[in-house]
Amino acid sequence: MINAFLLFFVIHTTQIGVGIHGFQRVIYQEAKHDAWISVLLIGIATHIIAIFMIKTLEIYGSNDLYGIHQDIFGKWFGNFLNFIYIVYCSTAFFSVLRNYIEVVQTWVFPNLETWFISATLLLLVIYAFTGGFRVIVGISFFSFVLAIWLLPMLVFPLQFTTARSLLPVMENDIMDILKGAQSMTFTIVGFEILNVIYPFIKDKNNVKRHVHYGLLATTIIYLSVILVSIAYFSPDQLNKSIWATLSLFSIVRFPFIERFEYIAVCFWMLIILPNLCLYLWAAYRGSIRLVKVNSTQFVWIFSIVVFMLSLSVETRTEINAVNNYFSKVGFYLIFVYPILLYLLAVMKKKYTTRKERKG
Amino acid sequence: MKFIKVMFIFIFLLITIAGCAEQKLLEQVGLTTLLGYDLGENEKLSTTAVIRQVNPEFQSNVEIVSAENETARGSRAEINRKTSKKIMSGQMRVVLFGEELAEDGIAHHIDTLSKNSDTSGSIIVAVVEGETKSLLEYQFQEIDDIGTHIYKLLEQNIKNEQMISSSLHEVAHDYYSLGRDIAIPIIKRDKEHVEISGVALFDKGKMVGKLSTEESFYVKLSRDLYDSAMFEITIPKEALPESQTKNSPEKIPVVIDTINTKKQVKLINPQTPEFDMHITVNGRMLEIGANMDLDNPKNVKKLEEEIGKSIAKNLERVLVYCQDVNSDAFGLGEYYRSSVRHSNLTHEKWHELYSTAKVNIKVDFTILRSGIFE
Repeated sequence: MINAFLLFFVIHTTQIGVGIHGFQRVIYQEAKHDAWISVLLIGIATHIIAIFMIKTLEIYGSNDLYGIHQDIFGKWFGNFLNFIYIVYCSTAFFSVLRNYIEVVQTWVFPNLETWFISATLLLLVIYAFTGGFRVIVGISFFSFVLAIWLLPMLVFPLQFTTARSLLPVMENDIMDILKGAQSMTFTIVGFEILNVIYPFIKDKNNVKRHVHYGLLATTIIYLSVILVSIAYFSPDQLNKSIWATLSLFSIVRFPFIERFEYIAVCFWMLIILPNLCLYLWAAYRGSIRLVKVNSTQFVWIFSIVVFMLSLSVETRTEINAVNNYFSKVGFYLIFVYPILLYLLAVMKKKYTTRKERKG
Repeated sequence: MKFIKVMFIFIFLLITIAGCAEQKLLEQVGLTTLLGYDLGENEKLSTTAVIRQVNPEFQSNVEIVSAENETARGSRAEINRKTSKKIMSGQMRVVLFGEELAEDGIAHHIDTLSKNSDTSGSIIVAVVEGETKSLLEYQFQEIDDIGTHIYKLLEQNIKNEQMISSSLHEVAHDYYSLGRDIAIPIIKRDKEHVEISGVALFDKGKMVGKLSTEESFYVKLSRDLYDSAMFEITIPKEALPESQTKNSPEKIPVVIDTINTKKQVKLINPQTPEFDMHITVNGRMLEIGANMDLDNPKNVKKLEEEIGKSIAKNLERVLVYCQDVNSDAFGLGEYYRSSVRHSNLTHEKWHELYSTAKVNIKVDFTILRSGIFE
């Protein structure tokens, strides 16, 4: 059991991961210089979805999404949905891992083999995972505290910005802006971890507040990064920058450190670590409802499978394809499905109480 | 369980001990501090690199190596074949383009440099009058390390706002933007010195014109803002009251140090297009070629007016030249794009409009102080 205030760190650190390296370009392609509106919109959307998620979970009191599925849809279809959710978490895990490896290979060590970074990271994740749930939450906390100093580094590129690039506001079609918001999915998902973590919270009446704080912090960070990016890069330049955030950092220069982005890339391991641990943990919570497996067995099997997969996806195009596919599925699973589930849960509850009253 | 723990420690140690992924020992690499590109024969690219080699026993020495190849990477490999140490570009500070190459187009190079994660966005880009190769290979008596020297020269002048800032990021920014063209410093060899001789104006990726260093002040004034640049200006003798200009030349030189500047650009007619540019300059007067009585507020007022007029006139002249060579160094297109909704601006479309653009320039100049002695 953990305190509700730790949810702030859990939600926030699962949301921020590898997506922030290069989300600017993806939105910019749709919404042009109004991209920041897209970010704002998707930020608001996360708050709305979180309200639905919490309401659904409150109906059941102390059950996670997997249990809710089994209750609403029955054993077979419920388990089928659980399976989809486990696959989703695993894909998220894989995607974070593979994207990070790619960044390390392009920016710092072009000749470093994939298996080496993959194995190193997986061992670290296994180590954290076997420590148990509280250790994972602890990692989220430290990831936040140790990495938050990266945000003020945006001041350096700020001196090369022209605020004029943001004008005229709302020039683009509202549909394009919404499309931009949708393409932000890959970057902003992560708060669905709430579905699984909810039963482990001690003081449940504080959950709402801390979840929304976490989401707000994420939105503010994404918003500031996109605003600086639009003002710092010119249109085509942003379109061509695959990792715009790292390019932003490449202008940072200290007397004792010449190439700051190298530090940033290496430091990012701390930022993705809670991502990996929490997605792995979420997949584990689902799996124990489907098959009989203990945590050590699970984590080793899972890691070996992911390790194999990480070797098979090699090129930029393939990684991009995985990201896009994940983003598309993720949008419906995270931004549409929770509302549906809430309605079903309410109906189910009404149905059962009526039945009980009759009986 | 104990076995697993031991295994963990074992694997952990294995990784940390063998964890040096790619070693780049300073003694074993040659640091490229400067790269110069020229147009070679048969459409080849001639590359000259200034390589600094650090030696633990002796003083570190500087080597200048050049090679010709179709691609920049190809020449790098060729340079590598000519040196005893592996070439690294992480310490690169300056990229120079020969004039001929700049006129032919540097678009490809901007693209390649931006693509490479080794090169940072703060590299300074400049054009060399003539060939870079001959500049770099010249044996300067006073200069040991030509690479660092050119870097310091450019950096110092950019920092003191005597020259337009031309970091790779800014150059790439302007190249990929719709309504602003590249303007970068030109350097040349002047006997035993390297000097900044002017500003190169670009149309997209091609160099189309040149301005002198004096004129570059106005380009910078219209592009960015000044905090501390010094500039010299002349005002006609007859503009000032006769009593104040005894024994002074026909054109009175005035030296100003800007304290701060403000700029306002408004698009007043999108059809022509017509802009209103209002620049406010506050400065301190360092030198004047006339024996003026500056205690008299009337005189100061008159002087301020004349200096403002003179700045405006020069700005107009520079702008007309920029329009002639079709290079939007002023960044007017950016104002057009951000003021007109759904303009769907393209580079071609803007440059068509730009050639007929009209700018009403107004400069307000204020003398804040004029030294300790009147």
